[in-house]
Amino acid sequence: MLLQSAIGDALNNSEWAFALAECVHIGGFAVGVGSIALVDFRMLNLGLRHETAGRILSYTELWTLFALLFVVFSGVALFLSQTDVYRVNPIFPIKMYVLAAALIYNFTIHRKVAKMENPPPLLSKLVATVSLLLWVSVVFGGIFTGFLV
Amino acid sequence: MTIAHSIQSIGFLAEFSESVLAYPIVLSIHLACIALFGGMILVTDLRLLGLTFKSLTITDVVTSLRPWKRAGGTIMIAMGLLLAASEAEKYAPNPFFWTKMIILSLIGLHALIFRPIVYSKTEELDRSPVIPTKAKVAAILSLGLWTTMFVMGRLIAYWD
Repeated sequence: MLLQSAIGDALNNSEWAFALAECVHIGGFAVGVGSIALVDFRMLNLGLRHETAGRILSYTELWTLFALLFVVFSGVALFLSQTDVYRVNPIFPIKMYVLAAALIYNFTIHRKVAKMENPPPLLSKLVATVSLLLWVSVVFGGIFTGFLV
Repeated sequence: MTIAHSIQSIGFLAEFSESVLAYPIVLSIHLACIALFGGMILVTDLRLLGLTFKSLTITDVVTSLRPWKRAGGTIMIAMGLLLAASEAEKYAPNPFFWTKMIILSLIGLHALIFRPIVYSKTEELDRSPVIPTKAKVAAILSLGLWTTMFVMGRLIAYWD
């Protein structure tokens, strides 16, 4: 609770701290989701065809991980700065469920199929499409949460 | 101010900014494009710097992502213009908005300068034993311009 109010106060008392947290949140999101999308585009056969999806994943997975860590930490800070607002927001919990689904999916099914040597093409495409849809839904959830604050 | 007022009063723009759903949907598309295609810009620049994706040639990275970056950029700019035009009076005095527009035109200038000597000459870059300085300069400028563009976009909301 003490930490919660300390972080909340820091963001509320400084106009720039909140803006900075938002920049980190969205910038981290762009890098995190952007790097996942590169793997998805490869799985859909839409780009980077001279390399396997597994190799693209091994190039990008550290960026994804670090970027998503930044997104989560800045997101927690933004949440703590106005908990009462988010608690009554009707979209916010939906965003959290979709985010949880997207994160679990990314580090389990998505990762496994991307690393497969010879995945059935249809499976690859299906897994990549679901990944893109999940992450785009998280973006929509974030914006709609903001519009209802 | 009157020009701004006239712009945002144009029929469909006025309806658009008053719609509860249309505005956040377009903003979401704008941001989703940043995420999906921003990653492509990042990887292109990092490949030009020789930092990653080394098992792919520069030609592979640049040419296979080019159509997607173009499509994504077009959607992103179209959505952005729609957002700005629908609230023209709010954007017109905002210094962050104008900084963002200047950066956008610098990105256009960057393309005019570096497309003929870097992005359309990728085979020459791949043949070179070390990545030529002009390619690295293009990549660093691109990273700097896009990062500034992104930060200005966020700061637009903080000026009043």
